[in-house]
Amino acid sequence: MSLIALIPLFPLIGFLINGLGYKKIPKAIVAPVGIGAALLSFITTVLVYFQFKADGQTIIQPLFDWITVGGLNISFAFQIDQLSIIMLFIITGVGTLIHLYSKGYMSHDEGYGKFFAYLNLFLFSMLLLVMGANYLIMFIGWEGVGLCSYLLIGFWNKRSDFGDAARKAFIMNRVGDLGFLIGIFLIIRQFGTLEYLSVFEQAQGLEMGNISIMFITFCLFIGAMGKSAQIPLFTWLPDAMAGPTPVSALIHAATMVTSGIYMVVRSNVLYTLSPDTLEFIAWIGTLTALLAASIALFQNDIKKVLAYSTVSQLGYMFIGLGVMAYTSGFFHVITHAFFKALLFLGAGSVIHAMSDEQDISKMGGLWSKIKITAATFLIGTIAISGLPPFAGFFSKDEILAHVFEHNKAMWALAMVGSFMTAFYMFRLFFLTFTGKFRGTKEQEDHLHESPSSMTIPLIVLAGLSIVGGFIGFPEIFHLPHALADFLSPLYDGSRAVNPEFGLVHLSHSTEWMLMGFSVLLAAVALGVAWFIYVKKETQPADPSQLGGIKKVLADKYYLDEAYQIAFVKPVEKASQFFYSTIDKKAIDRVVEGTGDLTSLLNRLSTKLQTGSTGFYILVMSIAVAAILILNMGTEIADQFFSIFNAQTK
Amino acid sequence: MYPIISLSVTGLLTLFLGFSENKKIVFPASIAFLLIALATAFIDWNAPGFYFNDMLQVNNTSIVFWAILIISAILIMGFSEGFERFEFAQPAEYFAIVQFSLVGAIMMVSFKNLIMLFLGIEILSVAMYVLTGADKRNIRGNEAALKYFLMGAFATGILLFGMAMFYGATGTFNIGSGVFIGGDNSFFLWIGCTFMLIGMLFKVAAAPFHLWTPDVYEGAPTIFTAYMSTIVKTAGFVALFKVLSTTFSGLQDFWWIMIAVLVTLSLMIGNIGAVSQNSFKRLMAYSSISHAGFMLLALLGDHENALGSIMFYSVVYTLATISAFGVLMVVSKERIEKGRVYEQNDLFKGLAQNNGFLATVLIIAMLSLAGIPLTGGFWGKFFVFRDAASSGLFWVIIMAVLMSAIAIYYYFKPVLLSMSKKTSLESITINPLAKFIFAITTFGTIVLGIFPWILRSLF
Repeated sequence: MSLIALIPLFPLIGFLINGLGYKKIPKAIVAPVGIGAALLSFITTVLVYFQFKADGQTIIQPLFDWITVGGLNISFAFQIDQLSIIMLFIITGVGTLIHLYSKGYMSHDEGYGKFFAYLNLFLFSMLLLVMGANYLIMFIGWEGVGLCSYLLIGFWNKRSDFGDAARKAFIMNRVGDLGFLIGIFLIIRQFGTLEYLSVFEQAQGLEMGNISIMFITFCLFIGAMGKSAQIPLFTWLPDAMAGPTPVSALIHAATMVTSGIYMVVRSNVLYTLSPDTLEFIAWIGTLTALLAASIALFQNDIKKVLAYSTVSQLGYMFIGLGVMAYTSGFFHVITHAFFKALLFLGAGSVIHAMSDEQDISKMGGLWSKIKITAATFLIGTIAISGLPPFAGFFSKDEILAHVFEHNKAMWALAMVGSFMTAFYMFRLFFLTFTGKFRGTKEQEDHLHESPSSMTIPLIVLAGLSIVGGFIGFPEIFHLPHALADFLSPLYDGSRAVNPEFGLVHLSHSTEWMLMGFSVLLAAVALGVAWFIYVKKETQPADPSQLGGIKKVLADKYYLDEAYQIAFVKPVEKASQFFYSTIDKKAIDRVVEGTGDLTSLLNRLSTKLQTGSTGFYILVMSIAVAAILILNMGTEIADQFFSIFNAQTK
Repeated sequence: MYPIISLSVTGLLTLFLGFSENKKIVFPASIAFLLIALATAFIDWNAPGFYFNDMLQVNNTSIVFWAILIISAILIMGFSEGFERFEFAQPAEYFAIVQFSLVGAIMMVSFKNLIMLFLGIEILSVAMYVLTGADKRNIRGNEAALKYFLMGAFATGILLFGMAMFYGATGTFNIGSGVFIGGDNSFFLWIGCTFMLIGMLFKVAAAPFHLWTPDVYEGAPTIFTAYMSTIVKTAGFVALFKVLSTTFSGLQDFWWIMIAVLVTLSLMIGNIGAVSQNSFKRLMAYSSISHAGFMLLALLGDHENALGSIMFYSVVYTLATISAFGVLMVVSKERIEKGRVYEQNDLFKGLAQNNGFLATVLIIAMLSLAGIPLTGGFWGKFFVFRDAASSGLFWVIIMAVLMSAIAIYYYFKPVLLSMSKKTSLESITINPLAKFIFAITTFGTIVLGIFPWILRSLF
């Protein structure tokens, strides 16, 4: 078997061992199996990378013919190219670190084995999603990660509100998945195949603005809206924080939620062909980035802040995609994977230290108690705020520069969001790590740094958050943009259909100006946060005490309530109606009626069964007569008349 | 041709064996005789020809059916081990009659002349009348035998009348050449055709000539009920096919509407009638009526495929029926009420817990009869539906599918009962031979459900 197939195989085996042996396998073996599966997968990825790098050609690895219906042939094949290899590195690399982290974080949980089994299953699904050579395998992965997300959000299934959160995530994703599925069907209709290579090749022959491509890209994007938490399907992601923190880091920050971006970059030819969809994506991204950032301003739950921050950052990625800066959007996926995983794991470490307390109004002054966590968290905060030279600065700035070129108003809104990001992140940092401790005495006594299995991933991710941005220097630095060069072959199709693709018209001075402005804004936000929360030592307010616009923000614009009224209630009403009227009164009547009719006919037919031979023979004779009449009634009559006529003559 | 001779001789031998002191020898000897007959059947393999002045026609197709009939008989007779323990039983006579009846069945699948058809039907029928009353002290058995005989005689009369009319119209009993409408004799030909079909439809228990079935099935000893519902049915359908596809094929426009109506009637009466039956044998009787309807469906279609479909259907139906009646025989002997074996459905209550093997055999048989995929019954139904669809008779197919849905209900009654917790039975003893037969029938049902082509591709 080829090396490529081994990458998803290891997590699958890990899942089978821990999943089937759940409760039978001793705890000491569970973690090595789970972590080992992820690590082996990572090592294989490195090997495959070298194999790929040797000639730089896209590798298609067919495993078997899967579905053959009429002219449609879908093979089960993997595709290794620039895009999937980077995703593989992120998934297996960050995945391994988070598996390692879970060993410490989940060590006291009774569902230890179950947790590792689910994590491995998630890795397997996510790897399928990015490695598949056609849309259908992507869809299997897409559904698989959705399932794992559901299982892990509701991991602590003894709490019913966690179960509700899991269901919410699942249902909202189903809405998106329907769009994705329709998109797949439209692709089959348009191209007669689902294999990436042949779809994109055929697409290159089409005109820009082709209407059916617009529908395809739009439907696929609906799938991305669900999976990557964009307006209007984003409210599940903050609730998904009910799951264990490593899950939030891996699934709901670093990997699964970015699969929407992966899908768009993968299909870049189709999206380039459809400028209308791109414009739509850009605006959805802008609105999501702003909305989520503003909600994050007044949240007091450490994980909720990070969750809204994730939604907002995903918005930025989509803005990048929407202005056709696919590389920049994807660049942000990479750096975001580093610093957001770091922030979530750091938050997990804080929660661990605080004896499962998540409310930042109960924290404060933790800097001296948990130094490693605090230092790495600070690095993550700087990185996400966009201060140089950390990772977030490079990727975010690149997106903003492209947005500036595309649409000034959109750029202004994005800058506002960026300012808010820096503000709420530093607010979070200051409230958690500086000032006085606001928790209980017991919590204070328990404060302790996390075990090394948790701090090592933090340190590694912190290092990546510092240097991760160096793979993509801006042009004005006169240093190579390694990522752009590497990804360049992916956009051959886009270049072919749109001659404008990838050309930058910004002058160097404008670019310097933009960069300076965004750094300045971030610095100002840092200053404001410092002034409010350190200098003036403002305490985070209880949400119920807030008034005016702050209350609206803290209550998330009442979106959940609005959805409740707009969608949930009508669906409940309709389902009540369908249950009590359509089902009970109509369908059940029909079903029961069929049964009643059958037993009525049964009583009639068994009445024939008298047991009397004479009667039986009578019935038979009647039947014979009936058949004779049926078959040749007219002939009998003819015969009769001919005999009659003959006699009368 | 050779099995006819072989079975006639060994039948007589079996009668003589009955005089011997050691009655235990009769059973193994009879099985050996049947095996010999099976072996002689293949002498003519790949040597098609006509025998007895063109009275019989032998080819590979007919040899396949001989083999099916003889193997079915062996499988069924396997359950009669230990028969000689009953003081009132006369095993030698029964085994002899079984062998004679097979002679009739073999004639029915290889006749070339209507005289031979009549002879075959009568040999088989008279043997069945006797076997139905084999349990001499059982008043219901006697009643069933007499009823079967009276009605059978009536049907024979109709059949013979039809043949006479046919002879009058065509001047021959030979079925070699097709007959066509036209000329002065067509009126007689029509009557002959109708009456002959009616006579044969009676033998295969198609409605509305089914009235004897529930009473006779219930009254007869279970082993001969199984015999009746498999061998008589298979032979009857092949005979019907032979008549319809050769000499009457030119009259298709004339008889197809009649067959289509009878298919519908059989399916309705068979399936709807089975719904409320508490006696397992009566349930199987109605089931047999409905299966007659399904097999008739194949006759409506293209003749190229029909014989293969009938063959496949007969085999899977035979396997499942032998399983079902076999389980009934094994289980019912454990529960005697008022001196008789208990044969109601609730006999199977708790069978799965009591004896998992028997329950599995019963459930697979019921699934196959109901036509659930992964059992042979599914493909049997599939093939006949396909044949019927090729003739465009969609209203009949829709009816058949609806009736199959009803069938699920009553076939699942024994299944559900066998799954229930409470059991009324002590431990059940199965002798090794019966176990072996169950293994063959159950395995065959599954194999044909997964690889139907191994049998369907025979012709």
